[in-house]
Amino acid sequence: MSQILELRDVDAFYGQVHALRGVSLRVEEGEIAALLGSNGAGKSTTLKTISGLVRAKGGSIRFLGEEITRLDPHRIVELGIVHVPEGRRVFGALTVLENLELGGFTKRKDPAFTKRTLERVMHLFPRLNERAKQRAGTLSGGEQQMLAMGRALMSDPKLLMLDEPSMGLAPIIVKEIFKIVRQINAEGIPVLLVEQNAKAALKLAHQGYVLETGQITLQNRADLLSQDEKIVKAYLAN
Amino acid sequence: MEMFTQQMINALIIGSFYALIALGYSMVYGIIKLLNFAHGDLYMVGAFVGFAVLSLFGGGTGLLGVVVAFFAALLFGGLLGIGIERVAYRPLLSSPRLTILITAVGVSLVLENGVMKSFGPSFKVYPVQLPTEGFQIFGATLTYAQILIILLSVLLMTALHLFVTRSLYGKAMRAISIDHAATSLMGIPVTRIISLTFFIGSSLAAASGMMAGMYYGQISFMMGFIVGLKAFTAAVIGGIGSIPGAMLGGLVLGLLESFGTVWLGSEWKDVFAFSILILILVLKPTGLLGENVTERM
Repeated sequence: MSQILELRDVDAFYGQVHALRGVSLRVEEGEIAALLGSNGAGKSTTLKTISGLVRAKGGSIRFLGEEITRLDPHRIVELGIVHVPEGRRVFGALTVLENLELGGFTKRKDPAFTKRTLERVMHLFPRLNERAKQRAGTLSGGEQQMLAMGRALMSDPKLLMLDEPSMGLAPIIVKEIFKIVRQINAEGIPVLLVEQNAKAALKLAHQGYVLETGQITLQNRADLLSQDEKIVKAYLAN
Repeated sequence: MEMFTQQMINALIIGSFYALIALGYSMVYGIIKLLNFAHGDLYMVGAFVGFAVLSLFGGGTGLLGVVVAFFAALLFGGLLGIGIERVAYRPLLSSPRLTILITAVGVSLVLENGVMKSFGPSFKVYPVQLPTEGFQIFGATLTYAQILIILLSVLLMTALHLFVTRSLYGKAMRAISIDHAATSLMGIPVTRIISLTFFIGSSLAAASGMMAGMYYGQISFMMGFIVGLKAFTAAVIGGIGSIPGAMLGGLVLGLLESFGTVWLGSEWKDVFAFSILILILVLKPTGLLGENVTERM
């Protein structure tokens, strides 16, 4: 398997806080990698550092063999990494359709692709189709999560990063969202998943990493991690 | 009746000027939450660019000269706006809002004094005056030039409205005004869109300045100060950050000011306008078309 994303000894600060201390991880072709850890461990900062919202102070981030450590966020999206941030961050005052159109900004010179992808997204999330003309702010949390993911797909990602897609959602909706993540991955898009819900994440993922106070303390195949005593105790107990 | 009609015409003209400037105020506020107090001076700079270009042509300026001067004012104003943002505001985007607000006041002083040093402190007579031919309507005089100013303003505002609501770049502007970081995660070059916003807003103010120069016949380096504050008032009346609001606010302020002048006397004109600003801020701070979008999480 060839690797899509590789972080090597990445250091990053979040404000004054030394949030990442030498983080190394990789995402392989076709796989889902889960990044687990408690609140404040640095999971979101890891994703933000990859997508360029936070500048790495040291180490290197390579994507499809290319050094992306110091690129601007919009350049990183152009290369194919799309980050669906925590809390979805849809544009509430814009319509669902406008949100999706903006997701396809990097493909604006290829209207045929945009049209095709829009159809694909509407097929994947029929509820977005029903609500295309509605303001995104009026959607339910689950629908907003679907919109955020659909918006990400509009730019033809080569790697999808999801930050807490299950946050604040009812269990039945979480199930639906995770099913779609699996489906997107089955279509060949690797996923880097950050989750509080470790049990569900490990069920979905191929590879798992555990982050504690800015350091990767454990990594293994997801099925093995979910049997690891330390993990079960710390994250899966209840 | 004839006085009513005449005031109506005045209101439309002055309202158009206010609206064109208010748009830039509102767009910039929307996108980086800055009250750009240098914005009124772009109107002044536009008038002076037009003045300089028309002076180059000498006495026999035809329609062509006016058109060239108009586009020169648009382009120069827009590029100056981009330059100001790049040099004075962008380095401060992550600092407290007060810092950047004070910087805007500084930029305003630089522009005013820069123009004063270059062109002198006295009033300048515009090289080209608008023709006064027109026709009578309900006993009032409406000149062709006034019609042209109103039409041109409506055209510029319609173009802007279509750009912001229909084009992908316009939608990106609205997205940035909601959430900078999330917009950059769409692969949208946020700083470039901010530059574009400054270009459009500044060139509209400059266009308005050039038209005002020809309409009133004289210009001065301080002409942008009070008009800038009025345009700010217009933007607040309409709901700052809202583009249709800026247009409506400009028109409403033009109307109130024109008729207020009739009832109260012209020496009370500015008092009247700024009293309205205070009233709006107290009674409906979101303005006529401003709204608080409620979002579900």
